[in-house]
Amino acid sequence: MLRASGVVKTYPGPHGVPVPVLRGIDLTVKAGELAVITGSSGSGKSTLLNVLGLLEDPDTGDVWFGDDQVSAWSRRAKSRARGRWVGFVFQAFQLLPSLTALDNVLLAARYVGRRDAATRRRALELLDTFGVAERRDHYPPQLSGGEQQRVAYCRAVLNDPPLLLADEPTGNLDDDNAAVILRALRERAAAGGAVIVVSHRGDIAELATSIVRIQDGKLMGPAR
Amino acid sequence: MRSYLRGYLFTVVGIAIGIAGLVSLGAMGERIMRFIQGGDRFVLGQISVAGRGMGMGTGFTAGGLLRGATIRAIAEVPGVAGVQAQVMLPLNPTTSQFMTLTQELVLGVDLAVPMPNRYYRTLPVRVGRFLRDGDRRLAVVGASFAASRGLAVGSRLDLEGVASEGVGVLDRMLTAPDRFVIVCIADAREQWVAKDPLLRTALASGALALRADDLNTGAAVGWRDGEDPDAVALRIRDRVAGVNVQVPSELSALLRSSTAFFSALLVGIGALGFVIGGLSLANTIAAAVFERLRDFGVKRALGASDLQLGREVLGEALAVTISGGVGGLRIALALATGVDSYVGRTGQQLFLFSPRLVASALTFSLLLAGVAAVYATARVVRLSPAEALRRGA
Repeated sequence: MLRASGVVKTYPGPHGVPVPVLRGIDLTVKAGELAVITGSSGSGKSTLLNVLGLLEDPDTGDVWFGDDQVSAWSRRAKSRARGRWVGFVFQAFQLLPSLTALDNVLLAARYVGRRDAATRRRALELLDTFGVAERRDHYPPQLSGGEQQRVAYCRAVLNDPPLLLADEPTGNLDDDNAAVILRALRERAAAGGAVIVVSHRGDIAELATSIVRIQDGKLMGPAR
Repeated sequence: MRSYLRGYLFTVVGIAIGIAGLVSLGAMGERIMRFIQGGDRFVLGQISVAGRGMGMGTGFTAGGLLRGATIRAIAEVPGVAGVQAQVMLPLNPTTSQFMTLTQELVLGVDLAVPMPNRYYRTLPVRVGRFLRDGDRRLAVVGASFAASRGLAVGSRLDLEGVASEGVGVLDRMLTAPDRFVIVCIADAREQWVAKDPLLRTALASGALALRADDLNTGAAVGWRDGEDPDAVALRIRDRVAGVNVQVPSELSALLRSSTAFFSALLVGIGALGFVIGGLSLANTIAAAVFERLRDFGVKRALGASDLQLGREVLGEALAVTISGGVGGLRIALALATGVDSYVGRTGQQLFLFSPRLVASALTFSLLLAGVAAVYATARVVRLSPAEALRRGA
C-alpha cells in the first residue's frame, strides 16, 4: 500500500546550517498492517509521518501509494490524495474550535466534494459508534480530551481512507480513552486499512503487526 | 457563516470599533461640508445686492440702505428676472460684530415677489406652512432655531418687543437658514427701526425723506435663463449707482477662501482617518488570518487545495469585514444619535450620515480587507500543511 524509499529531509538551522532530520528512510507498510514507529524525541518520527502523509515534501526520495509516485505529484494532486486516501489523527486532536463536533467530522468530506445526506449519516454513525453522538453539537472546548480525540478519529476515517496515520494518538489521553482509540486503530488495520502509528506507549506495541525504531533520522530495523 | 464569525468574534469587534471611529469622523466632516456647500450653493443661486455704505444689514446684505427706487432700477437692467427686497438683521445686535458661522438672523422678505434664488425657489417646511403675501406678525423659523428654543407651530416669539406667532418650522438644511427667523418685510422693517437708534433718530428728525419701501438692507436678484449671472451682476454694478453688487462667482470664491481652513482641516482629518483606520483594518484582517494558521493547516491536511483554502480565507475575511462594517456603522449611528440628541437641545447637529459616506466607508473597508486577505492568503497557502500546523501550534 505505502512505500517510501530514500527519503531525506533537512530543516534550516541557525546560521543557515541545515539540520538533517531524515537520512534516507526506506519503509513499506502493507494493507492490513498496523505499523508502529518508535524513537526518542527529535529522532524524526513525526517528520517521517508528515512526509508519508504528504503534509510536507521530502528533499529527496519518493513516496508511493500503490503504483502512484505521489511525492512527484503537483500540490493540487497531493491535496486531493490527502483528502481521499489519508486520514490523520494528531496528538493535539487538531479540531477546529469554531465548529461543532459534527461539523468537525464533516470537514473531512467538504474538500473531497461529499456533502450529501449519506455522508452526514455516516458521520453521525461514527460519532455514535465512538460514544460521542450526544456531543455532536458541542464545540471542542466543551469536550473532554478523550471525547475530542474520538471526534478527531471519526473525522480521520469519515472518507474511509486506505491509509491512516496517527501521531501519538493517545499521548494526551487517560487509559480508558487511550484503549478506545487503540482498539479502533487495530480494528481499522484488521479491516484492511494500512495504519501507521507514532507512539511511545508500550501497550500499542502489543497491537502492532510491525514495529520500527528510528534514531537520528535513520530506521534501525524492526524492533520486533 | 455563524461558525466563521464565532472564530473571529474579537476581530469583528475590533473592526467594528475601527469603522465606527472612521465613520463618525467622516460624518462630522460631512456635516461641516454640507454647511459650507449650502452657503456656496445659496450665493451661486442669486445676485446679492446691498446699498453702498455701512449699516445694520448683515450677511450677504451687509451694507447701506437700498432704497425702493434703486430696487426698481435694478429690475430694469437687461437680464434681470426678478428682484426681491429683503431686510436681514442680526437677531441679537450685541453679537453682530463677531464673525460667526452660527449667527441667528431675522430675514424679512417681500412676499409679493417670488424668491429669485435658483437653488432655493422655496424653503422646505417640515411642519406648518411658509409665509404668504399679506401675513403680518407671523414667522417661520429654522430647525436649529426652533430646537434651541423649543418652538413649534403656534409658539409665540418676542421680536423686538412685538409678539409674533410661529406658523412653520423649516426642514433641517444643515446650513444658514437653520438659524433664521423669516418674517414679512414690513415686520422686519419695524424691527430694524426698533433695533437701530441712529435710524430712529434720523427718521424722527425728518432728515431722511424715506418711504416704507426704502427700508431695505438688500435684495436678491435673479437672472433670465441663458444669462451669465456674473455678467448680469457686473451690468447692475455699471448701470445702477450706489449699490454693492456681489458677483456670484466672486462671492463663492470668497466664501470658499474663508472656509479654506476648515476644508483643508477636513481633508487632513479625513486622510489621517483613512490611513489610520485603513492600516488598522488591514492589520486586523491579516493578523486574524495568521492567527488561524493551525486551522488552515488542518484543512490542508484534510485535503483542501490552494484554491479551496484561498476562497475560504477570502470569503471569511470579507464576511468578517462586512459584519464589522455593519456593526461599526450601527455603533457610529448610536453614538451620533446620542451626541446629537444631547447637543440638539442647543440646536446643534454634529453628524451627518450621507449615503455617500456610508457607501464609501463600506467599499473602502471591503477593498482594503480584500487586499489584506489576499496578501495573508497568499502567505498561508504557500506553507506546507505541516508547517502551518507547526507555526499555528
